[in-house]
Amino acid sequence: MDPAEVEFLAEKEMVHIVPNFSMDRMYLIGGDIGPFNPGLPVQIPLWMAINLKQRQKCRIQPPDWMDVEKLQEKKEEEEGSQFFKPMLNKHYMEVAQLLLTHATDDIPRADEVRTLIKDIWDIRTAKLRTSVDKFVSEQESHAQLDDLSLMEINTMRQFLTQALDHMHQIRTPQGGATQHTQE
Amino acid sequence: MDDLDIEEASDEEVEQMTAAEALAMVEKAWLNEKFSPELLPHKQDLVDVMLDQLNDMEKNISRAKKGDLKVSIHKMEIDRIRYVLASFLRIRLEKIEKFVHHLLEEEAQLGEDVPSRMSPEELQHAKNFAANMETLFNDVVLRHMPRNLKKLEGSKVAVGPYQDSYVFLQVQEQVDQVMVDTAGDQGDEAIDLEKGSQHIMRYRVVAPLITNDAVTLI
Repeated sequence: MDPAEVEFLAEKEMVHIVPNFSMDRMYLIGGDIGPFNPGLPVQIPLWMAINLKQRQKCRIQPPDWMDVEKLQEKKEEEEGSQFFKPMLNKHYMEVAQLLLTHATDDIPRADEVRTLIKDIWDIRTAKLRTSVDKFVSEQESHAQLDDLSLMEINTMRQFLTQALDHMHQIRTPQGGATQHTQE
Repeated sequence: MDDLDIEEASDEEVEQMTAAEALAMVEKAWLNEKFSPELLPHKQDLVDVMLDQLNDMEKNISRAKKGDLKVSIHKMEIDRIRYVLASFLRIRLEKIEKFVHHLLEEEAQLGEDVPSRMSPEELQHAKNFAANMETLFNDVVLRHMPRNLKKLEGSKVAVGPYQDSYVFLQVQEQVDQVMVDTAGDQGDEAIDLEKGSQHIMRYRVVAPLITNDAVTLI
């Protein structure tokens, strides 16, 4: 899966914005979006929020979890544990990336937020690498990965699935009459 | 505007579903199809419903005045949904062309009431594709081969999906006692799948759970 597709999925997340225009209720296929009034916050999907921001029609309110203290706490929690901790948001990387690129002025202390999220990402991907290494060398055939976000899983996806496929084939005696494809 | 009627594939009853629910189902079907090594049962009803929605929405915005913002937002949403649908159908088509002989054989062996994996149009395409491939091979190669090699046996050239491929999944409903073999000693270990957890394991183990929506592939 492309990172672009992971971002596509993350863009469905809802965020709060404060519009500077007014419009009545919109009936989108995916749901209704409440009436827009200048100065009153309203909740819309991320893809729409980014688009409106680019046309300078709104101000995006950073999500609750995108706060320097909370991220600092999270980072320390991750550093302290060898296992994965539940992340604040399922799509933290993609949402952070989009908001920090397009709405930097709406995020207080954007540079610190950017550094903290990058640090958290680095810690988690390092943990992921070591656990994948252990997984493959111990030839496990199943794992539970509850607290991994989709973006993190996606970085490992191709390698891990192919490696495990090959290992399974080496382990199991082949006997089928039908040929199989392998990607 | 939001309530739709879709007919279940085999039943008489008509199910009411909002457009938002249909969209969620389309996205789920897209992800499942993307990560599954085999062709999953078709969702032609859902695709048709979604296409109707898109066409209606397009008609609406073409009628509406050039109120720029509303129109462009609707268009963006339409583009997003079209992307998902197109990708879904393209993935299915790729799998059909890859496994064409295997699927046609499976089709031939289906009983009366068992629904096919492919929609009628897909089935027609599969048959055409297989026939064209056969003509191609005959004209390019097989004509010049010695007599006993002149035919291609369907069952010998059939390539099947690799059922033991590893996939990532997310559990939607609790499932107990799923047999996963452990490493090394080839023993089987039963694990429980908790709702909301994510796992990686062989596709073969979870294949039946995908069709009844107990797990989704991620």
